[in-house]
Amino acid sequence: MRAFHHAMAALALLALLAFGVVAAPGTASAQGNVEGRPEAQEILRDWYYLMNELVRHTPTYSPPVASRSFGYLGVTAFEAAVGGSDTLVSLVGQLHDLDSVPQREAGAVYDETVVISAAMSDAIVFYFGNTGPTGQRAIQRAQEKWRARVVDGVPDDVVARSEAFGKAMAASIRDWSLDDGGAVVTNMGFPETWDLPKGDDKWVPTNPIRQQQLPLLPEWGNNRTFAIPSGATCATPGNPAFGTATDTQFYKEALEVYETGKALTPEQAAIARFWSDDPMLSMTPPGHWVSIALQVAERSNLPLDENVDLLARMGIAMSDAFVGCWHEKYAYNLIRPITYIKKNIDPKWEPLLNTPPFPEYPSGHSTVSGSMDAVLTAFFGDNYEFEDHTGSPDGRNPRTFKSFHEAAEEAGISRLYGGIHFHAAIVDGLEQGRCIGGYTNALKTRK
Amino acid sequence: MRLASPTFAFLVALAGTAASQDTAPVPPPVVPSFVEETGSAGIDSVFQGGWEYMVGGGGAAFDCNGDRFPDLLLAGGEKPATLYRNTSTKGGALAFAAEKSGLELEGVSGAYPLDVDGDGIMDVALLRVGENVLMRGTGDCRFERANEAWGFAGGDLWWTSLAATWEKGADWPTIAVGSYIDRHEEISPWGSCTDNWLLRPAAGERRFAAPAVLKPSFCPLSILFTDWNRSGTPSLRVSNDREYYEGGQEQMWKVEPGKDPALYTADEGWRFVRIWGMGIAAYDLDFDGYQEYFLTSMADNRLQKLANVPTDGTAPKPSYAETALARGVTAHRPYVGDDLRPSTAWHTEFQDVNNDGLVDLFIVKGNVWEMPDFAMKDPNNLLLQQADGKFVEAGDEAGVASVEQGRGGALADFNLDGLIDIAVVNRNAPAQIWRNTSADAGGWVQVKLQQPGPNRDAIGAWLEVRCTDGTILRRELTVGGGHAGGQLGWSHFGLGKETDVALRVVWPDGTADDWQPLAVNAFYVVEPGKPATAWTVN
Repeated sequence: MRAFHHAMAALALLALLAFGVVAAPGTASAQGNVEGRPEAQEILRDWYYLMNELVRHTPTYSPPVASRSFGYLGVTAFEAAVGGSDTLVSLVGQLHDLDSVPQREAGAVYDETVVISAAMSDAIVFYFGNTGPTGQRAIQRAQEKWRARVVDGVPDDVVARSEAFGKAMAASIRDWSLDDGGAVVTNMGFPETWDLPKGDDKWVPTNPIRQQQLPLLPEWGNNRTFAIPSGATCATPGNPAFGTATDTQFYKEALEVYETGKALTPEQAAIARFWSDDPMLSMTPPGHWVSIALQVAERSNLPLDENVDLLARMGIAMSDAFVGCWHEKYAYNLIRPITYIKKNIDPKWEPLLNTPPFPEYPSGHSTVSGSMDAVLTAFFGDNYEFEDHTGSPDGRNPRTFKSFHEAAEEAGISRLYGGIHFHAAIVDGLEQGRCIGGYTNALKTRK
Repeated sequence: MRLASPTFAFLVALAGTAASQDTAPVPPPVVPSFVEETGSAGIDSVFQGGWEYMVGGGGAAFDCNGDRFPDLLLAGGEKPATLYRNTSTKGGALAFAAEKSGLELEGVSGAYPLDVDGDGIMDVALLRVGENVLMRGTGDCRFERANEAWGFAGGDLWWTSLAATWEKGADWPTIAVGSYIDRHEEISPWGSCTDNWLLRPAAGERRFAAPAVLKPSFCPLSILFTDWNRSGTPSLRVSNDREYYEGGQEQMWKVEPGKDPALYTADEGWRFVRIWGMGIAAYDLDFDGYQEYFLTSMADNRLQKLANVPTDGTAPKPSYAETALARGVTAHRPYVGDDLRPSTAWHTEFQDVNNDGLVDLFIVKGNVWEMPDFAMKDPNNLLLQQADGKFVEAGDEAGVASVEQGRGGALADFNLDGLIDIAVVNRNAPAQIWRNTSADAGGWVQVKLQQPGPNRDAIGAWLEVRCTDGTILRRELTVGGGHAGGQLGWSHFGLGKETDVALRVVWPDGTADDWQPLAVNAFYVVEPGKPATAWTVN
C-alpha cells in the first residue's frame, strides 16, 4: 500500500480543489465536492499503481505482455476521458483497426472520476483476470473500496450513466484487443514447439529451467501494432557479423562484455540492478517506465487530460516497441553473451544478471527505453530532471536523472553491465525504440 | 548424467540388471503399484478454507500410542484438524480411526511431530493461521496445550513453516517458525512478509526463551534444519515464496550455539536464487556424503547439489548447482490429461517406493486457487530413480496421479509391510491415502533411533546403510521441510537384492557407532553404543 498511501496523501490536499462543473461539447461533466473524494487523475493513477503490482505478480506478464496491456489500458483511459474534455482528440482512425468507440450521451452529465474508475475497474479484470488469488482479492477489494469513494456525493443517475459509459469503453477496447495476436498467452509465453535455428551464432537455451528451453514468445513480432505500420517498421541494421577470431567486431563486443563484467564498479553494478526489471520479480521494463511516469505525474499533479494523454502515448509506444523488437529478435536469433563468452573466452564466466530466455539482438529494454525517451521527452521536454524510486521496495537506492534521454541511455547500457547484451544490441535497440516512439509522437491527441 | 563407478555398478546391481557399457540402455525401474484406500481406510478429512488457506494443508505421520504404526494428523484449515489412529495390521489394508485427541483446533495449516520435552511421548507442533500451538502428548494419542508451560510464544501471524533441532549441549529444542504475508493487508499485501522467529531454550530452563526475529523474512513456505556441510551443526535452509517478498531470495542461516543467527552471504558462496519456494526434500542422491536439496515451486522445480565438493578435507562453500533438468525432475507440467499448463508443486519427499535401493521422489501438486495460467488438473508426481541417476515419471502407472488440489503429504509404511505408502492432503477436497501393493519390490530395512536424554528421537542424527560393494545410503533425521508437515518414526531404506547390509549411526553429538550387520526385511530399534534390536509387529 505504500504507493497508494503516497497517492492518498496528495489526494487529501487536492480534494479541496475538486469541485466544479466543466462543460464539454455536447456533454457536461460533474465533480463532487466530498472531502477525500479523489479527482479523476488520482483514481486513474491508483488503478495504475495496482496494475503495476499485478504486472509483477501475474506469471504471464513478461515484458512484451506487460507492454501490450499498458497499450490497451492507456487507450481505454484516454478514450474514456475524450468525451469529457475540451482538449482531447480521439485516437479512433489513428490506431490500427480502432474504428469506433462508445460515445457519451449528448447533453447528459457525467462524472469524470466515476467514468475513469469504472473503466479501469473493468479493464483491470480484462487484462489481469489471469492473476493469482491474491491479485484477484486485491482487485475485488479495490473495486469495492475505491468505488465507494468515487461515487460518494455524486447523484445516482450521474453515477449510473458514468459507470455505464466507463464500462462500455473498457469493453469496447477489450474487444478491439482480442484479435491482435497477443491476447492469448499460454505456458507463460514459452511455446510447446519451436524449431531453433541452427548455427554457431544462433541462440541456445542459457539456463537449466525446463520451461525455458524454447524461447519466449517467438511470434510476438507478428502482432498487430498500434501506431507503427508493422513489427518490421524501424528495422535494425542487424548485429555485427558473427565471428570468433579476436579481430572481429563480434569478438571485440563480447570481450567488452566480459571485461566490463570482470571489472564492474559498484556504480555499474548498481545501474545493472536498478534496471534489471526481471519478470515476476519486478514490474518489468514497461512497468518501470510506467512507474516513472506515475511518479512524475503525481509530482506535477498532471490534470486528467494530460495524464491520459501521457499514459496512452506511453502504452502505445511501448507496445509497438516490443512488437518491433521481437520482430528483429527472431529475424536474427542471435546468441547471448553467456553462451559466446563461455565457449570462446572464459568457460567459467557468469554475468551479473540472469540472462533472459530469448535471443539477444536487439535489446528489449533498450528498444522500449528508446521509445520512452522519444515519448516522454516530447511530452515533458528536454532536460526534465526527475528522481526514480521504482526499485526502493526491493532495496535499491533511487536514482536521479537530468532527462528522460539520460535515463534511457542508462537503461540501455545497464544490460551490458549486467552481462546480458552486446553493445550493438543496445545502441541499435535504443535507436529502434526512438524511431518507433516517433510514430506515437505523430498521433494527434489534442485539438 | 552418468554416475561414476563404483557407484554406477552398485546402482545397476541394485536394480537387478547388468550393464557393462556406458552406452547400454538403462533398465527401467520397477514401477510400484498403489491402491487408493481412502474410503475403506476411514480417512475423510478436508483441508478447507479461502484465501488464508491457499497455502498450508500439511499432514504429520507419527506414532502416538506406542504401537509403532504411524498415525496420521491432517490439517483442516477452517475446520478442526483430525487425528487418525492407525488400526492397520501388518501387511493388511490400511485402516484408521478418527478420534478425539485434543488436536482438534481450527485454523491449523500444518503439523510436525516433535518430542519437545523428551519424555518419550510424541508432542506435536501445530502451525496455524493465528497462533501456533505446541501440544504435549500425554499418551495414547491424547494431547494438551503446552504453550504456557513451555514458554512457547505462538504469535498471531499466518504461519507456514517449521523446523526443529537440538543445538549442541542443549536439553531443550530450538524451533524456527516461518510466517507468510500480513493477512490483514487487502489491496496490496505484496511485500508485507511478516517475521520468521527462532525460539531457543531459555538459559538454564527447560522452556523456550522469547523468540528472536530472523530478519530479513521473505515469506517462506518451507524451512529445514539440515547439516548441509557435515559440520555437525545444522543450518536453517529457508525456501521463500517470491510472489510476496521484495528484495528477497532463498536463504540459509548459520545457527551456531551461543551465537546470533547469521545469513550465509554471497561472499561465502551463497547463490542468488529466487523461486516460488514451497517445499524442501533432502537426500544424498549421489552418495558423496552431502545431500541434494529438492525445492518445489511453480512451473520448474529445483534440484540443487553442491557445486564443488572438496576432496582435500576442507569445508564446502554453500554454492549449489541446478541439476533438475539433467536428472529429469523438473516436473514442470502435467503428464496426464490434456491440461498442459505449468504445474504447481507443494509437499515433496524422497523415499524408495519400489525398494530398489534408489530413492525416488514424490511431489504433491495442485493449483493455488483457480489460477488460470497454471494447470487445474495437476497430477502428483512419482518420479522413480533409474540406475543412471535420472528419474522417470510413474505416477499414472503406479496409480497415484491424483489431480485434486494437493498440498501436504506423508510417505510412510502405514501397515508395516516394508513398502512405503502415501498420504496426501488436498485443499477443498478429501485427503487421500494409497497402499503400496507392489509384488516385485526389493528388500528393505527400517530403523528407529532412540537415545537417552532430552533429544529422545536423535534429531540431527545420520543413518548410514552400507551395501556389499561399499556404497553407503544416507539419511539425515530432521524435523521440518516438506510442505507444512512432516513425519517422525521409522527411517526406511530400500535395498534391492542386497542380502547383507550394515548400519552405522552418527548420533547428533557427532559420535559414530561401529558398523553392525542387519538382516534385510526387518525393523530395528537402535540406541547409542548398543547392538540394534530387531522389532517385530505384534
